[in-house]
Amino acid sequence: MTKLDRSNCEEAFRRLDDFLDRRLSPDEMRLIEKHLEVCAWCAREFNFEASVLDGLKRRLKQVDAPADLLSKILSRLPRREGHD
Amino acid sequence: MPELPQAFASTPATRQLESAPRASFEDLFASVITTAFGVALRYTRNQADAEDMVQEAALLAYRAFDSFESGTNFRAWFLKILTNCYFSKRRREKSRPVTSDLDDTPDLYIYARSGEAGFPTQGPDPAATLLDKLGTERIVKAINLLPEEYRVVCTLYFLEDLSYEDIASVLKCPVGTVRSRLHRGRRMLQKSLWQVAVEDGIVGSSPHEAAQ
Repeated sequence: MTKLDRSNCEEAFRRLDDFLDRRLSPDEMRLIEKHLEVCAWCAREFNFEASVLDGLKRRLKQVDAPADLLSKILSRLPRREGHD
Repeated sequence: MPELPQAFASTPATRQLESAPRASFEDLFASVITTAFGVALRYTRNQADAEDMVQEAALLAYRAFDSFESGTNFRAWFLKILTNCYFSKRRREKSRPVTSDLDDTPDLYIYARSGEAGFPTQGPDPAATLLDKLGTERIVKAINLLPEEYRVVCTLYFLEDLSYEDIASVLKCPVGTVRSRLHRGRRMLQKSLWQVAVEDGIVGSSPHEAAQ
């Protein structure tokens, strides 16, 4: 890997989190995407990190509230004037 | 960049905006109860406490509903109230500071160890094998091991996919703080996940022990 390549990889890696969260400017997003097209090593790392993030989000959303919680809470709210 | 939610101040000016037809509190609350319970469960780590916290937040939100600006983000508004309930509870309990060995987590922690342990590191969804073996319960356990400020940010990010701006609004802190805690929290979570995987025998404790 040449010095220039390594520098590009470091620059790309520094932006990994912001890239995955799409927090970079459109220009920066494009620069990283271009780098990932030519650098298989970085592409593999970025792909893995994206897989971890997406996988965690998918799995952590599987929480159901107890079936009776809504009715229990609503029944305990004080009545408002003008509301039944 | 999304605009910051503007629904949180219970000022007369905010109340004046409530002239448009609006959904009832009950309808809006019903639409977020799953979210609220999931977040409360992650905060409190206990189902009974989570139910109590959602109940407390619902009562506070109900009383403050006149200050909610119709058409804005009710979910973020409610989560802000819920999060305030959690921090109030923590203050009452005078929680002790948590020290953590997760602080020094290097980058790409799971990636590096997955390779050593024989789990996939490439392909369309390379982390899926490990995450499937861990399962939701152990992933929750790993999040619960994070120091509180990181656990709260990660909970809002992973469970609710909230924007940095919404998380900042919920936590009443700058967006930059959310960003740095989230980035650091994600690294810590990787180490925490791996520790849970080792403890539960999903992966070997040394690099030489391949995944079963």
